[in-house]
Amino acid sequence: MEGWDPSTKSTLTQIPLLTTKAGPRDGAAWTQRLKEEYKALIAYTQMNKSNDNDWFRISAANPEGTRWTGNCWYVHNLLKYEFDLQFDIPVTYPSTAPELELPQLDGKTQKMYRGGKICLTVHFKPLWAKNCPRFGIAHALCLGLAPWLAAEIPILVDSGMIKHKDDAASSAES
Amino acid sequence: MDDELLELQRQFEFAQQAKSSIRLSDRNVVELVQKLQELRIIDFDLLHTVSGKEYITPEQLKHEILTEIKKSGRVSLIDLADIIGVDLYHVEKQSHHIVSEDPDLMLIQGEIISQSYWDSVAEEINDRLQECSQIALAELAAQLHVGSELVASVLEPRLGTLVKGRLEGGQLYTPAYVARVSAMVRGASRGITVPINLSILWSSLQQLLQEMDGSTGVAVDSSFFQSLFNGLVKEGEILGSLRAGVHWTPTVFAVAQKESIDSFFSQNSFINYEVLQNLGIPQPVQFLKSRYPEGTALVSIFVHPSLIEMLDTATEDAIAHGSWIDALSVLPASFGSQDASKLLSLCPSVQLALKSNKAVIFGESYLFSDGLIKDVYDLLEKEMEILSVSESSGVGLSVDLTDTKVGHDSSKFADLDKTGNEMGSSKHGTDRGSKKKRGKSSGTVTASVAETGTNTQESSTSKSKKNQRKGKDTSSSQASDPKAAVKKESVKTKEDIDNMPSEEWIIQKITLLVPDFEEQGIDDPETIIRPLANYLRPKLVNFWKQRRKALFTENAVKMKNLLDNLQKKLDESFLNMQLYEKALDLFEDDQSTSVILHRHLLRTTAAAIADTLIHNLDMHNKIKNGVEVEPQTSDSVSLSPGERTAMAKSFPGSLSNMALATAEALEGKQVETFMTALRAIAEESGLILRKLDKKLERTLLHSYRKDLTSQVSAESDPVSLLPKVVSLLYIQLYHKALQAPGRAISVAITRLKDKLAESAYKILTDYQAATVTLLSLISAATGDEEDCTSDRILTKRELLESQMPALKGLVLTASQSLN
Repeated sequence: MEGWDPSTKSTLTQIPLLTTKAGPRDGAAWTQRLKEEYKALIAYTQMNKSNDNDWFRISAANPEGTRWTGNCWYVHNLLKYEFDLQFDIPVTYPSTAPELELPQLDGKTQKMYRGGKICLTVHFKPLWAKNCPRFGIAHALCLGLAPWLAAEIPILVDSGMIKHKDDAASSAES
Repeated sequence: MDDELLELQRQFEFAQQAKSSIRLSDRNVVELVQKLQELRIIDFDLLHTVSGKEYITPEQLKHEILTEIKKSGRVSLIDLADIIGVDLYHVEKQSHHIVSEDPDLMLIQGEIISQSYWDSVAEEINDRLQECSQIALAELAAQLHVGSELVASVLEPRLGTLVKGRLEGGQLYTPAYVARVSAMVRGASRGITVPINLSILWSSLQQLLQEMDGSTGVAVDSSFFQSLFNGLVKEGEILGSLRAGVHWTPTVFAVAQKESIDSFFSQNSFINYEVLQNLGIPQPVQFLKSRYPEGTALVSIFVHPSLIEMLDTATEDAIAHGSWIDALSVLPASFGSQDASKLLSLCPSVQLALKSNKAVIFGESYLFSDGLIKDVYDLLEKEMEILSVSESSGVGLSVDLTDTKVGHDSSKFADLDKTGNEMGSSKHGTDRGSKKKRGKSSGTVTASVAETGTNTQESSTSKSKKNQRKGKDTSSSQASDPKAAVKKESVKTKEDIDNMPSEEWIIQKITLLVPDFEEQGIDDPETIIRPLANYLRPKLVNFWKQRRKALFTENAVKMKNLLDNLQKKLDESFLNMQLYEKALDLFEDDQSTSVILHRHLLRTTAAAIADTLIHNLDMHNKIKNGVEVEPQTSDSVSLSPGERTAMAKSFPGSLSNMALATAEALEGKQVETFMTALRAIAEESGLILRKLDKKLERTLLHSYRKDLTSQVSAESDPVSLLPKVVSLLYIQLYHKALQAPGRAISVAITRLKDKLAESAYKILTDYQAATVTLLSLISAATGDEEDCTSDRILTKRELLESQMPALKGLVLTASQSLN
């Protein structure tokens, strides 16, 4: 599990693992899977809250629970930068990891596919494959998005690619 | 849709909506707190825990400490600091506050201890005490890890309530145990009848306890015994007195002690300090003085006045009777001499007598009455007189003794004296160096001297007899106690004529004169006599000196007379001697005759002169030394050569040498040597020898001639006529006085041949021849053949008698013709 900072790793290990291997097309098994996803997400969220490390809000956008929307944020230099977050559960899930999208940052950085899908590290995919079906959405957020935000936002802010909303507002006004 | 899924959805929603807890970093918190303090929102001291992660308020700390104390009742501050996690400094500070606020708590050696803790400890101790009946405080202290003093101080208020027992010398005892030990102490101390050091008793009791309790028994401190003992004494359960805290004297003993002293003192009316010391009274004098104020303390004995009275009567008696007394003989045997002397000085009669000089104390215990001393002194004075006489005879005797010794060597006495000398020398062997033993020996020695004397010289007999008589005097006075005499002798090896009466002599005399000293059965009579002798000696010496002085004045006259006398005699005889000496010149050419003549002269005239001189000088010497000398009766003194040398030796200094030279010259053959010696001695002794001058010679010759002429004319014996005639002839013809012995007559006659007429010479030679034959006949004559020889002698004598007138005529006519 090299490639991640120790705090990420310790957090990851504390997220409950999933057991059911089922995709959105598997009917009841998917429901079961969805339940486990929720439990993992609840645990992860509580963990973050208790550590004063809350950084995202998501919710299922459809009843099947195949599309999720929400937002995430990062605090840099005492300024909170907030972005929209959306992703779909692929059909091959859980063998394939969900593709996390930050549409607001599309085109603003190299570490991103078209449509705002973030580029993950080379380590992510093998790890995910190795841990299928035990990893779920919570794990993907923890392992994928959190490190990406920590790595990319300060660069983006410093390079002026993104501006705080207050600044943006003031600049727009001016 | 599944309900459960919906529920989970809702839950997730809720979880996301929930407010996340805010986390601050430590740094932020610290800054916040500082800010709060700066803003005075927190207006009290905040304390840090040891870890530095926590703040704690003093109230909380105090609260926590109190809870900790309540838990066990005893907490160490260090433990508190550990438990609460606050620095020790703050814990200590807070603890001090707590302890000062709460009287039930105490802070001891870094520990907070509450009274309730002590109560529980006391209960524990009590339980144990009841089990073991005794516990050492030190043991408790070690168990509780506190000082034994603290334990004692804590236990003291609880004794009798929580702890049922008694604290004594660092030990806790149960009442039962105390009672037991106190019974032991009571028994032991009641059993004591003699004074004892209590610590000895305690140690024995300790041993006893140890044995009873076995190895588990704790050693009982002796102070425990002591306190029990003191309690018993106070209660009157045991009787006695305690000195210096440890010396216990039971009443029984004190009573017995007093009784024994009382009984002894009342029976004997004295008591030795030693006896008291044996009884255990360390200061007998003070004790006795306080107990018997009427008594008297002496050096080693305490006496009752009755004893003094007794001694007083005894001494009074002795003084009254003019006797003496030894205080020790009157007093009991345990009295020392110092005590006796002190006691004597206390007797009123003695004091009186000493004041009035009626008695004298000698040594330490002898009292002599004045009367007795006077008697003794008188007796001694008499003895002294005898001594002075005996001393002089002693000198004479010593001369005699040496005389015989010399005689032994001299060939002249060889045969005759043999027996006598053997006796003398054998005696001499025993007497050598001790002239004092004259009492016994002098008789025999003088007898032997007398024996030899009769054989050799007539005059020596009288001398010896005289000595013998003196010797007898001394022997009668001394022979009564030969033993004492011997003793005295050994002390007085050297008799000096100047000698004073020695101490030993006086002692010996006193023992002789006052025999009752010895009758008293005193072991060593000297102890009493010596002081007496010492007392008397100065007086006697005085007496002796006075006597000597008197003797000297008396003797001075005598000496003068003697010297005058001597001078006169010497003048006369010396002149004669010179006269005769001149005559010797005639015969100088004839050696043999000269020798004979010289010797003859020396033997006769010279010897007489020398003897007179020596004898008189000897007498002079004796008188000078204060020895009484009997006045010389006869002028003619003749001494043997031995006597001469002995006398010569007794002379002082150079005079002795000269006298010896003179005596030797007498034995020689030269008249000249004698003359020089004689002159020397005369000069030394202050006498004058007159020289012969012409005028004097003539008058002397004339008188001599006259004398001879008258003698010749009066002479009737034919034999003795011849030398006189020859002498007369010599005077007539040579004007020289010749002294010729018989043997030299013929030579003298032949020398006259030239001077005389033929006929006269013929008469002389005939007469001489006839005389010689007559003398040879007389000497050859024996008693048996009287008939034959006597006839011849008779005829010869007749023939000589017939020729006598012719011879007389020859001389007388010649003298007449000369005249």
